[in-house]
Amino acid sequence: MSERNSPPDLHMTRTFDAPRRVVFDAWSKAEHVARWFTPKPLSTPKCEIDFRTGGTFYLVMRMPDGVEFPMNATYTEVTPPERISFSATIHGGIEVKTTVTFTEHDGKTTLDVHQTYSTDGDPVRGAVQGWTATLNQLAEVLAS
Amino acid sequence: MRTDPLTATFSALADPTRRAILARLANGDANVTELAKPFDMSQPAISKHLKVLERAGLISRGRDAQTRPCHLEAARMKQATEWMERYRRFWDESFDRLEVVVEELKKKETAHVRKK
Repeated sequence: MSERNSPPDLHMTRTFDAPRRVVFDAWSKAEHVARWFTPKPLSTPKCEIDFRTGGTFYLVMRMPDGVEFPMNATYTEVTPPERISFSATIHGGIEVKTTVTFTEHDGKTTLDVHQTYSTDGDPVRGAVQGWTATLNQLAEVLAS
Repeated sequence: MRTDPLTATFSALADPTRRAILARLANGDANVTELAKPFDMSQPAISKHLKVLERAGLISRGRDAQTRPCHLEAARMKQATEWMERYRRFWDESFDRLEVVVEELKKKETAHVRKK
């Protein structure tokens, strides 16, 4: 019986009225990503992107009270203009893998975001707890 | 080590058999024998899953020592769903902002093409 101390996979999709190279562009440059990636009311004081397979995706989210959540991800795949995958380890224990797929049809682009969570390799329960607690806190702030 | 309730809930929900058990219980209470039938699993295996679900607060079990019917605890289920919904909403809002950026980039590109 397998047990994972993590939320189930997350799958999100949205269609944009633009060719996929434009939508892809919005994911590929720090100046663009910094404008939309971070959930409100958090801000993005820092965003650095080395956009290539094996490159880094570094982003800092700042809460209104000044507490910062850095995200340090590595691009595991960059295939313009079709697919981007990046993997981040947050709170020292849980690995979040995000795969973004861009599909164009009649000049419109459908974006698929698929996120999986795992604690493979080093299943530190405390770290997962911390992570969940943080996200809960975050969710509460955002919901208020 | 103690686990916070939501982590235990997500851990319990991560397994497809357990999700199927919950789906079955949404139609009404059932005991281990009834639950084991459609899954082609032994009763001890189902019992293990039920223990995880019970610990996570997703089900409760009756006092009758013989059958111990399982009951879906909807409140905990709702809490977990709401959390996922909130997280989903973050992404939805991010997509809203992304749409604005994409529109701008599209306009810039069109302007650039016209200039040529």
